[in-house]
Amino acid sequence: MANSPLNVQAAKIDGQTAQKYLIRALGAAIFLLVAWRVITVGLAEGYPASFWISQALNGLVLGGVYALVALGYTLVYGILFMINFAHGEVMMIGGIAGFFTLQFALARGWMEGPWLVVVAALLFIMLVGMAASVVIGVALERLAYRPLRQAPRLVPLISAIGASLFLQYSVLLIFGVSPHSYRKPELISGGLRLGDVFISYTGAIIFVTSVLLMLALFFIIQRTKLGRAMRAVAEDRSTASLMGVDVNAVIVVTFVLGSALAGAAGVMLGFHNTVVKFNSGFVPGLKAFTAAVLGGIGNIPGAMFGALVLGLIESMGPSALGIPTEYKDVIAFSLLVLILIFRPSGLFGEVLSEKKA
Amino acid sequence: MLILESVHTFYGHIHALKGISLTVNEGEVVSLIGSNGAGKTTTLNTISGVLSARAGSIYFQEPNGSLPGQASRSPDQGIRLDQLPAHEVARLGVSQSPEGRKIFARLSVQENLAMGAFARTDSTGISEDLDRVLELFPRLQERLKQPGGTLSGGEQQMLAIGRSLMSRPRILLLDEPSMGLAPLLVQQIFQIIREINAQGMTILLVEQNAQAALQVAHRGYVLETGTIVLSGKAGDLLANPQVAEAYLGI
Repeated sequence: MANSPLNVQAAKIDGQTAQKYLIRALGAAIFLLVAWRVITVGLAEGYPASFWISQALNGLVLGGVYALVALGYTLVYGILFMINFAHGEVMMIGGIAGFFTLQFALARGWMEGPWLVVVAALLFIMLVGMAASVVIGVALERLAYRPLRQAPRLVPLISAIGASLFLQYSVLLIFGVSPHSYRKPELISGGLRLGDVFISYTGAIIFVTSVLLMLALFFIIQRTKLGRAMRAVAEDRSTASLMGVDVNAVIVVTFVLGSALAGAAGVMLGFHNTVVKFNSGFVPGLKAFTAAVLGGIGNIPGAMFGALVLGLIESMGPSALGIPTEYKDVIAFSLLVLILIFRPSGLFGEVLSEKKA
Repeated sequence: MLILESVHTFYGHIHALKGISLTVNEGEVVSLIGSNGAGKTTTLNTISGVLSARAGSIYFQEPNGSLPGQASRSPDQGIRLDQLPAHEVARLGVSQSPEGRKIFARLSVQENLAMGAFARTDSTGISEDLDRVLELFPRLQERLKQPGGTLSGGEQQMLAIGRSLMSRPRILLLDEPSMGLAPLLVQQIFQIIREINAQGMTILLVEQNAQAALQVAHRGYVLETGTIVLSGKAGDLLANPQVAEAYLGI
């Protein structure tokens, strides 16, 4: 019975399969190690439930902000198949512009006015931040990426890293090395206490705003003519142009949308972290990139979901693993490495088409 | 209506079209036949502006249309298409249904059809044309909400043609509409080409299935390695022994 299924199976265990099993075994070992650590250390500490709930709420706030930035990565990747590594800086510049608008508003006493004035001023600050990011994002596309559209795929990636450094150090040169601190208006400084759980107004506003912006983006992509054109260009640029779609215009619109979300995130992160400076977009940018990869890069719901998961892991992880909070970045980036090894296509595991691969 | 004058197109250093000249008159079906790699698709893509001609000119007569800014016009020959990007050529009413159908797989059938009408703003006209396309291809009606990628090959071809028609083109460029389809479906597709033409549509048809393509056409051109080697009335080409030997498998 040379052709029995068993023999065929045995024959298939060649080098490649062996490697696959090795990687799976490694994955299982890492998972067990982490689970063991959580059970013996994190849970043994006996934190109250309210502690975990507070951590989770923080995670959602952070995750919402990451999601806005992650969407920018994923939108651009979906259409151009490149990682815009300067996207974190696009966000940072939104935060910087937001800071100066806030100073302007504070100087005019808008932040002490009636609540309607404060809300209008906050909205104005966010819009200015978004506009600044849009200007930078569109300039990036025009100057750093479009001339390299026909180049091998590694080239625009290098250009993106160069643009990232250029933007960081331009901001350093113009605005100095010291951090600019956001001063929150009285209206959003407090919070709500539910039992032992404290919900800050700022956090709640950030989360709700993030969700609203994501819904707006989802609506644009799924329900408008423009969004339909974006999806068509993402699938097949040249066929879309046969339909009368100006592909360059769609690419610009993609950068506009991604940068606007990043600008909003930059301003909200400013209020959340209370400071912005020249390099404050770098690490959050990488985190958002991690989130986009976690959800499956190019996949819009994936980016949103991946970001929320990353936010939760980052806020609950250190306590669960019994390590100092300063190590939360280690957790996030270890996660990136693990996804790239074990599930490069991300949680939403889209099959990579030949063009993307 | 469409005039190509000694058009040369290159892929890098490869000289793919070596001076193609051809004409398509209003209301005609013109077939461009030839074997694999002869330059048929390259010709269509050069007309559409997906590829740019390095030399020669392409004119499109469009009597009542508006001119895009950078287009130049020669009074008797029409608009120079070879200077325009693809989306502007499409907006002038030159619609290509590309080789391999190129359906947007993740967009629904309805969205694919809507993409065809992308450049249009007359919503009543669009919904009229949608009705007409669905009348022509009743199979699409049942599948409007389905992703384009889930359609069978024949349905995808119908969708590709329907999508092109949704732009209400003045000329339709069809690239290998019969490719990969079962004989019965091939017949059906050619029947539809006849029908669309009878309704007044001008068609430039590229085909490897020379027999069927010449039967449906008024005139034809035979393309060999980037050069037009023969042209004439479709009936004459069908009767031509050279054509019969090389392309009709007789």
